[in-house]
Amino acid sequence: MSSQNMSLNLKIWRQKGPKAEGKLVDYRVDNVSPDMSFLEMIDVLNEQLVRKGEDTIAFDHDCREGICGMCSMTIDGKAHGGFKNTTTCQVHMRLYKNGDTIVIEPFRAMAFPIVKDLTVDRGAIDKVMIAGGYISANTGNAPDANAMLIPKPIADEAMDAAACIGCGACVASCPNGSGMLFMGAKISQLALLPQGKAEAPKRALNMVQVHDSLNFGNCTTHAECEATCPKGISIEHIARMNREYMKAAFTYYEKKNAGGGV
Amino acid sequence: MTINLDPKTPQGDLKDKWDKHKFESKLVNPANKRKFTVIVVGTGLAGGSAAASLAELGYNVLSFCIQDSPRRAHSIAAQGGINAAKNYPNDGDSVKRLFYDTIKGGDYRAREANVYRLAQVSNNIIDQMVSQGVPFAREYGGYLDNRSFGGSQVSRTFYARGQTGQQLLLGAYSGMMKMVSKGKIKIYNRREMMDLVNINGKARGIIVRNLITGELERYAADAVLLCTGGYGNVFYLSTNAMTSNASAAWRCYKRGAAFANPCFTQIHPTCIPVHGDYQSKLTLMSESLRNDGRVWVPKKQNDTRKPAEIPDEERDYYLERVYPSFGNLAPRDVSSRQAKYRYDEGKGVGPTKQAVYLDFRDAIKREGKDTIAGRYGNLFEMYERITGYNPYETPMMIYPAVHYTMGGLWVDYNLQSTVPGLHVLGEANFSDHGANRLGASALMQGLADGYFVIPNTLSNYLASTPLEKVTIEDNAFKDAEQAVKLQTSKLLGVKGKRTVDDFHKALGLIMWNHVGMSRNETGLKQAIADIRKLREDFWKDVNVPGEEGNFNLELHKASRVADFIELGELMALDALERKESCGGHFREEYQTPDGEAQRDDENFAHAAVWEYTGTNSSPIRHKEELKFEFVKLATRSYK
Amino acid sequence: MVTSAVNHYFRSSIGRKQLVAVTGLLLCGFLVSHLTGNLLLLVSSDAFNLYAHKLASLGGVLYLIEGVLTFIFLLHMGLAIKLTSENIQSRGKYEMKKKTGRGTTFMSQTMPFTGLMLLVFLILHLKSLKFGTMYEVTIDGIVMRDLTRTTIEYFASVGNTVWYVVAMVAAALHTAHGFSSAFQSLGWNHPKYYRNVKYLGYLYAVTIAGGFAFLSVWCHMKGA
Repeated sequence: MSSQNMSLNLKIWRQKGPKAEGKLVDYRVDNVSPDMSFLEMIDVLNEQLVRKGEDTIAFDHDCREGICGMCSMTIDGKAHGGFKNTTTCQVHMRLYKNGDTIVIEPFRAMAFPIVKDLTVDRGAIDKVMIAGGYISANTGNAPDANAMLIPKPIADEAMDAAACIGCGACVASCPNGSGMLFMGAKISQLALLPQGKAEAPKRALNMVQVHDSLNFGNCTTHAECEATCPKGISIEHIARMNREYMKAAFTYYEKKNAGGGV
Repeated sequence: MTINLDPKTPQGDLKDKWDKHKFESKLVNPANKRKFTVIVVGTGLAGGSAAASLAELGYNVLSFCIQDSPRRAHSIAAQGGINAAKNYPNDGDSVKRLFYDTIKGGDYRAREANVYRLAQVSNNIIDQMVSQGVPFAREYGGYLDNRSFGGSQVSRTFYARGQTGQQLLLGAYSGMMKMVSKGKIKIYNRREMMDLVNINGKARGIIVRNLITGELERYAADAVLLCTGGYGNVFYLSTNAMTSNASAAWRCYKRGAAFANPCFTQIHPTCIPVHGDYQSKLTLMSESLRNDGRVWVPKKQNDTRKPAEIPDEERDYYLERVYPSFGNLAPRDVSSRQAKYRYDEGKGVGPTKQAVYLDFRDAIKREGKDTIAGRYGNLFEMYERITGYNPYETPMMIYPAVHYTMGGLWVDYNLQSTVPGLHVLGEANFSDHGANRLGASALMQGLADGYFVIPNTLSNYLASTPLEKVTIEDNAFKDAEQAVKLQTSKLLGVKGKRTVDDFHKALGLIMWNHVGMSRNETGLKQAIADIRKLREDFWKDVNVPGEEGNFNLELHKASRVADFIELGELMALDALERKESCGGHFREEYQTPDGEAQRDDENFAHAAVWEYTGTNSSPIRHKEELKFEFVKLATRSYK
Repeated sequence: MVTSAVNHYFRSSIGRKQLVAVTGLLLCGFLVSHLTGNLLLLVSSDAFNLYAHKLASLGGVLYLIEGVLTFIFLLHMGLAIKLTSENIQSRGKYEMKKKTGRGTTFMSQTMPFTGLMLLVFLILHLKSLKFGTMYEVTIDGIVMRDLTRTTIEYFASVGNTVWYVVAMVAAALHTAHGFSSAFQSLGWNHPKYYRNVKYLGYLYAVTIAGGFAFLSVWCHMKGA
């Protein structure tokens, strides 16, 4: 489907470090093939910069096939460029036309401090997961995989939630910088599955508490996260989390010094 | 230095070896476990599962990952599924059959005992992953669903949509997160391992670069686990992730860990073809597409007609022609090679000619568009997103691409390398897949190593080895750090004209042309000469801008490419010395009259194990003879 | 950590949001009863006055109801302001003005503004009607406040009527988002019903705000 190569004007956020002042800098890239991916287009620009002896543009990327969640970038004001179910690495240049001006910024949110240029620190996502995004099943404990039956619709719904790649686009696109979608997806996935029910209340309480302590905002049901999520995760999972959390807050009880547990 | 290649395979019947070995292994007292620290480099399926299970046992784990989070390791990109010998579908599967298929699929170049153990623990993996909340596909009755994969005769593959690797990795990651919350794992992200530190002949620590600050950091421990994946990116273009690299393994090789079978690489037949020289990576299209798609090229050379304009009688459905019984489902190595032959004959298609058609026209006619969309809808969507072509209307174009490396650091039955204390897990080691890996087996091996093998064998090592107290002030740490610093300033000091990617692309081209799908003596010798020249040029003319002390992506790439160049040479050398064809290694001089691979079991039923001897001296080729006591060596035939 | 779960609930993002949702839904309920009462204006001037008188004669109970209502309102408003100010803090400050409209709607984006507008409206509303000019009227021998007259006189002014209609547009926007959002916050989002809840929210918004706006215009016509 190759047609003519294009020239593009880019306005890219350059910022030397977390504390440094940043600004949008103009660049021009010529000879952009419509078959290039967005990141390959940035590669071409970076090669140009290396040849000129300038510092390259720092951006996160790894698998370049839309699954690792490493790539970020807010393109023309939209996380991952705003194409349906697509991460930045899967955006191809045929979606743009010759002479376009593209504004590229990092994922912005209070919870994601900028490291350099387009690279941000998404460690807050891990911190929320550490608070309870797991089932405490030590290696060797497991019964036969078919010992527990899980109805197909439940397994499918859990899979919908589990598809989260942890990219943080939900946070970056949320007008409140809230982390509800990625957290909701995990709480929902594990609450749906029978294996995860044992710890569901504690998980919801701990994860929400850590989320709230980390500069994330609150949900106001804009559903911008749902529209932006490259894996199409529904805010239904936020609702399930809300339910789980409320139930846990009013009913979960653990005796102090009961012994045994940690 | 002499290296010890004793595989330490336990005696006894194949099926009792692992149990016997576990029983004979020494244990670490529960109260003493907290006194040991283990370094785990890499957080993919092998590293993630190892870190989690060792921490559960009570060891202190330091976990290092190159990305910003352990959840992003490239295991995440595996699509198809994971094998296990559960025999849920009642179709005649068993541990023995999985073992046999894996040994045969690897063209009899893997160690029997290791492969049998892999098949044995495969079932525990499924149990473990389910209990961790991995949402595998289910039947309406609530039972797990299985499918047949990669031409296997039984349905033993468990899957979670087209993203099994992601779900398994997130399972292992969640296990890690649990142990982080308990303070037993400490995660160091955005760190790249730069060197291994040996003290008194044992691996006792590593030097890492903090990729954000550029600073070098030292970490000491009682053992080091290397779980850093394969080296497919030697080829520049592969299905590996951008940061997948061989440097950690390569630095260990230089510190005494022998490297086995470096020439065994797997080229996957169904990838989206290269479309330009700016291309940064290749994307795999799931092998399952070959269940319904028919592979063909025009019979005429340089046929520029649109595929729809080429009538059936002028198409060559070459896999169906050459392999009537397996047809389009012929194994990966075989299908890849056949595609290359078509290209060599001038029958390739598409703008670069490096492609063949994978056509769904007949399947859509037979089963209807909706059925095909139900099976492959998301793959078709992905294909269209990347290429701009709609596969419902025009055939897909595919071409083989480097996907997996069976070779790696040599390990014994305990997964220990030739350096005591350095254990190697997952794709980074050479152990279980021989000369060719079967589909849905990589996930299985990574998790088997991390969850079930290493917790036993590492405890044995720690319990039976005298480990002196070491600190990061030790001279060995200082020296290793100094060596890294020296290399860094050398790289920054060249200030040449060519970019790092330039060199990497040049290396990739040499490798693809001469050490790719089919190899011959002349080509390999040429490759070695070319790589040596490239290496010289690299150190004279590479341009690495910026300085050491910050987030310098070009510097990170440069040190990886320097290692890739050296490893590329070893791969070519290994391919040159292995004068037979087996699995992914096809030597044109060694083929049957009808063009199939011809093994030489008499002379090459061994793992080639390379020992490093210095920058300017040739490595030494050792052998680990493979003894086949339980299977009979046979010719792989898919006709 | 979890033993203080209930305490934490009232400080957490989700807990406070749910309180906003519950109070919002209660206020929605109040509006239904308020509108129903006001519709008596359409029956007759006396009917409305009698209704107002009946309420006023509840005495202590009325004060209690008013107290509860005020509390609900203040809680709703206070939490909303607090949450909004936190949200402004935590959101990303983009150079490029975000092109929204994929998830966010005009209604969802303007919640703080329509909310504040309703606050202003409420103060003026109480001042001009509840605490507005006191007239007296005798019905069936009972002397009571002639609230109908106060109302009609107030809406005789075009300015006042337009202001009320505008305020009701704000109320419609506010409840159109708030209604279904409250269900979502409380966890009542189910693929089978959510679409219906959303439409029910729109229906509610249009009916209630439309009803009040209609009454303002009706009073205006009557008084003019």
